[in-house]
Amino acid sequence: MTIIGELLARHHERLSGFPAPLEQHYEAGLRALAPRLTPSQLQSWAETGVELTALSLRSWEAAVEYFRAGTSFPKSATWEAIETLGREALQMAGESAPLAVSFLRASAPTMESVGPAHVRQWADLGRRLYKGNWKSSSLAAQFFDLAPEVFRVLRIGQASRLVLFIDELSRHSYELASACLSTSPAVLQRLDEDDRLPFIGFAVELAQSSWADSRLYFDRGSVLIQKVHGPVRERYLVLSAQVARGHNRSAFQYFEDASNALGELDPDDHNKVIELAEQLAPYSAYAAMDFVTSVPQVLDRIRIDELEPWHNAGLKILQSSHDGGEAYFRLQSTRGEDILENLSARVELSKVGEIMRLYCKALTGRNVSIQTAESLAEKGIGWVAEHRASTDGSTIFLPELMERFHEKDENFAAMKVFATHQAAHIEFGSFDFEFSRPGAVFPLRRVQFAIQRERPATTDMEEYFDLFPERQLASDLFTIAEDSRIDWRVKKEYGGIRRPLVRMQQEELPKRPDVRQLPLRNGFVENLVRASLDGVDAVRWPKDRAEVMARALGILKAVQSQESLVEDAAEATLALYEIAVAIPNIYEDMDPDQWDSVEPMESGQAMPMQGGESGGEGSQMQMGGVDGAEGEADYESPQEIDFRGDFQPELVDLLMKLRENAQMGEGGEMSPQQLTPEQLADLLAKSVEIDLDAMYDGDLDASTGMFMSNLMKEAGNPSSEKGDQGQPTSDNSTGSGEGEEPLIPIVTVYYYDEWDFRAQDYKPRWCAVKESKLEEGEENFYENALREHAGLVSQTRKQFELMKPEMFRKIKKLPDGEDFDLDAAIEWMIEKRAGVNPNEKIYWRRNKIERDVAVAFLIDMSASTDEEINKREKKYDDDDYDDDPRKYLSWWVSKRRQELTSPPKRIIDLEKESTVLLMTALETIGDQYGIYGFSGYGRDNVEFFVIKDFDESLDQKIKNRLDKVTPIRSTRMGPAIRHATFKLMETDAKVKILVLLSDGRPQDHGYGRDRTEKEYAIHDTKQALNEAKREGITPFALTVDRAGHDYLKTMCEDMGYEVVADIEALPSRLPTLYRRLTE
Amino acid sequence: MTETATHPAPNIYAVEEYAVHDEPYYLPIADEVQLFETAYSQRIPVLLKGPTGAGKTRFVEYMAYKLGRPMMKVSSRTGEEAEHRMPLITVACHEDLTASDLVGRYLLDTDGTKWVDGPLTRAVKVGAICYLDEVVEARKDTTVLIHPLTDYRRLLPIEKLGQVIEAADGFLLVISYNPGYQSALKDLKHSTRQRFIAIEFDYPPREQEAEIIAHEAGCSRESALDLARLGEKVRNLKEHGLGEGVSTRLLVYAGKLMSEGVPARRACQVAITWALTDDSEVQRSIEEVVTSIFE
Repeated sequence: MTIIGELLARHHERLSGFPAPLEQHYEAGLRALAPRLTPSQLQSWAETGVELTALSLRSWEAAVEYFRAGTSFPKSATWEAIETLGREALQMAGESAPLAVSFLRASAPTMESVGPAHVRQWADLGRRLYKGNWKSSSLAAQFFDLAPEVFRVLRIGQASRLVLFIDELSRHSYELASACLSTSPAVLQRLDEDDRLPFIGFAVELAQSSWADSRLYFDRGSVLIQKVHGPVRERYLVLSAQVARGHNRSAFQYFEDASNALGELDPDDHNKVIELAEQLAPYSAYAAMDFVTSVPQVLDRIRIDELEPWHNAGLKILQSSHDGGEAYFRLQSTRGEDILENLSARVELSKVGEIMRLYCKALTGRNVSIQTAESLAEKGIGWVAEHRASTDGSTIFLPELMERFHEKDENFAAMKVFATHQAAHIEFGSFDFEFSRPGAVFPLRRVQFAIQRERPATTDMEEYFDLFPERQLASDLFTIAEDSRIDWRVKKEYGGIRRPLVRMQQEELPKRPDVRQLPLRNGFVENLVRASLDGVDAVRWPKDRAEVMARALGILKAVQSQESLVEDAAEATLALYEIAVAIPNIYEDMDPDQWDSVEPMESGQAMPMQGGESGGEGSQMQMGGVDGAEGEADYESPQEIDFRGDFQPELVDLLMKLRENAQMGEGGEMSPQQLTPEQLADLLAKSVEIDLDAMYDGDLDASTGMFMSNLMKEAGNPSSEKGDQGQPTSDNSTGSGEGEEPLIPIVTVYYYDEWDFRAQDYKPRWCAVKESKLEEGEENFYENALREHAGLVSQTRKQFELMKPEMFRKIKKLPDGEDFDLDAAIEWMIEKRAGVNPNEKIYWRRNKIERDVAVAFLIDMSASTDEEINKREKKYDDDDYDDDPRKYLSWWVSKRRQELTSPPKRIIDLEKESTVLLMTALETIGDQYGIYGFSGYGRDNVEFFVIKDFDESLDQKIKNRLDKVTPIRSTRMGPAIRHATFKLMETDAKVKILVLLSDGRPQDHGYGRDRTEKEYAIHDTKQALNEAKREGITPFALTVDRAGHDYLKTMCEDMGYEVVADIEALPSRLPTLYRRLTE
Repeated sequence: MTETATHPAPNIYAVEEYAVHDEPYYLPIADEVQLFETAYSQRIPVLLKGPTGAGKTRFVEYMAYKLGRPMMKVSSRTGEEAEHRMPLITVACHEDLTASDLVGRYLLDTDGTKWVDGPLTRAVKVGAICYLDEVVEARKDTTVLIHPLTDYRRLLPIEKLGQVIEAADGFLLVISYNPGYQSALKDLKHSTRQRFIAIEFDYPPREQEAEIIAHEAGCSRESALDLARLGEKVRNLKEHGLGEGVSTRLLVYAGKLMSEGVPARRACQVAITWALTDDSEVQRSIEEVVTSIFE
């Protein structure tokens, strides 16, 4: 008591000058500490507090906190800790009282969380944030305030990294630093303990390279990092940090993309992926991150164990060229694409589609097209399976991917088996069914069962299936019989496909369900499926019922013959159906040894008699239904067979019928015959092939309507063979009737690679060139241009007429020819007489000289061609008016008048006029030519305008189009040149020329690292010109840019180019140049 | 040395003396044999139309042989009795073939020049069948010669000699023409084509083609049938990547290779796939058809 009293008394004088709470806290502190401190320690504590009050005007507030802390020190707080606290507080208060206040306020709880031993380090951390100004002081104070929470999630050493991060950030923005600091405890809380330090580590790097992303990182980073498998997170963050260390502004983007990519992968693979990425990091951290990002896409195509070879191939490229390797791992390199393609065992329909198309065309002799099975399902015309092969009679639908085997060859063979089966349906007439046509093997029975109809059936298939009360059963049996027939024919006709086909059949067998587990009728059908797969051995059937099965197998076998037709399959179905309905669909509970294999009956015996078993000659017969007796299970269709796909004869028959109608409608005046609603309703109700519920959501009426319209749409364009041979894909073809221009121009999209000179590789399918016809403009532009340059026109015309080749030229001095050249013959005679060895080349012959030239003109329609030509000269005019306003005014008025009557010419105008001149010249000489304009913005949008295509002849429409040549946007030359090359290659001329008319260097958004970089664009353009040259085209570049020499020299190395310095000379220069090029 | 001596000397004929000695193998598909015989008896010129390798040339050879069959015995220069055969003069036309190549020209001789008859002139003189293969390929001036020869006049004017030759009795002009690959430029002019009766040739149906292949190539009936099947399938690709379907001749080549032990797939590859096209995608497609048919 004494010591407390004494200390209270001793300092009363100094403390009483401050507001009352100070002394109250002082006393409370003393009382709380007295039990654990020695008197001298207590005294020292008190003196420190008192000292605090005196440091500055507001340091008494710190003293309040100091005393208050005394009441709540944790038990573990030693005197040393308390003493250190005091010392630090004194020092801090000397610099900034509010800082000290925060420090002291948080001291007690902090000591509890971080441990009393670390007081000093903690204080240092805070002090580090303090830079002497108020913003930093408040940041540091915030740090102290948050300290208890921070130390709950971080150890002291880790906290120093956090401070480092905050400190780094505060150099750019105190607001951001403060925001990140305030969320840090919560963010870190969410992370696993081991991840926290690396998490901050990446933050530190991020703060240095792209500090603005820090907030994003703090907001989203903790969620993103959770996507990464726990044990590798640290390594992953270290990797991410390396990207940031390269002062890359998009470090966070890399991190986000890669994290999301990892999220898509199996966590078990993360270790492998990160390990591979780490191998790349020493060469390029970007490549490492790009690698991680690309892995999910890559794994779509190859297996995880093939990842390493792919990675290694890229690593090799990376070692020799950073840009090349980075492009590789960004999946932006053709080389990478090739390697991936080679590694990948799967077969993509998009890659083999054209081969399959020609293959199926060869087999069927029809113009079949190939599409993905998915696209068939999307059509909404009855097919629902998205991955099963099928055909609608004119198109064969195949699965998009085949990846059931580990070898590419095997997958391809599988794809081929699929395609062959569908093609065989077409080749061997599965869809040529006629109801009353007899088969070749079976007697004709079905007509006897024909039912009374109110109206004729829409299709023969419908009429046939109408015979059966159990339509699903009949449909399944028909599918088995017909598929069996088709497979047999394929094996017979195509010996080479037999082996893969048999292999597929063998693979199907073990997948079949156990017959013994099925109710009898289902089992019966299942047995037939097995037999159709050449697995008669796998048939199991109760011994006591063996006869029906033997007969059924005999019937199925009879279908398998060279002669049998689809009608035979139909007859077999009829017979099989009769057997099937008689079998009760019950579970046979018997010993396994009561089941046995069944030998098929001789087909002669199995074959039903003409007229059938029941009923006599001529009488109307009816197919039996199923009684549905007690205890019978519902009939279920057998499990599907993969390689046979989806066989829908009734639907195909309907579709073909509709198409036929549509075609007839087009031919004559009749409107295409539609299905009546009754017919449709009837069909929908009956057919087991159409399942509206599976196709559409929504109510029945709506789906019926939708189905109907889809079906008619499909039938309306019988040639569903789209122009997708090769690259071009039609975007929107809006009603293009003969001879009339569509309202919206048809845009065809072509894809071209682009050359990346850094990576020394192409970026695959990088640019989309959108080709369309240019709109038509004013009518009189062409004529006006001709009038304006009338003199030049007649002059060029004359020049070109001179070039017109003589059709035949007499060539003399030939060893053989049409006749003697008299002069040479006389000379020969003289020489002979003179005893000289005579020259025997004395014949002449007329040789045909053909001029066979095709030329493509590529006109730059970039915005820069908008520049007026006279602009440059204007400044010389400036002096004319000598600062006299009246003179200036009159000059201006005259100029204005002149501009109104004849507007100032722009570069593009001269380009156009020169083109007009050249066109007349070309018409004179008769060369094939095409005129194209190009512009666009970005790689996805390279606009390519057709002014005159090679196969178009010069008419008013084309003249009008020329008027519409106007400056639009950028100049991405490479793809435009590639497309013009493609156009030229389609002509069969011997001499092919490509003339590029531009006003400046190539330039476009994304055509290089940034807008100012020139090399990339120039290199790509050069490469494109080189490609043209390799194809045997003579490229020639013409520019009106006076500065053109510097880049044209690079671009057109060892190719022709010219800089037309005087733009106005262009109209006369262009024809001259052309003449020189082709002579 | 003795070996070289055993080589038989090659048979060398003057063009108008060459005749088909051994009966060529020809399998009639329709009534073309009777048609040709009738046309010959009436001296109506014949135009054979059809794709390459469909048997046009073989047909002409066969007909020449057949028409020479009622062997008139005449004495040859050596005085021996020899069988008279129908001489056959075949000229393969090319784009530089001119009228003087057909009619004849002056050649240098020791003491000036000497006139030498061209193949057409010789045929006209001896009364042979003159077969101008791919006639549209030749230069237009050749048609001038053809016209008077192919109507009632049966005359060959020789401008340079100032002569006109009446065709000998046995003379008949036969031309062939492949409508498949000639461009519109090289179409046969109507004034020319309306002087001939036209017999169309196409690839034979599967069964017959198999028979031909089996006979010509000496391969098994099954292989021949497979080859014929392959031919049929590949011809389906015409105009879709292939300018012309595979000819029977190529199928026979493949059959020959196979009968000599070359594996079927390989034989088809070299004799059909690679021979037909350079387009790798079409090659691949044909290859797939081949591997489907042959094991």
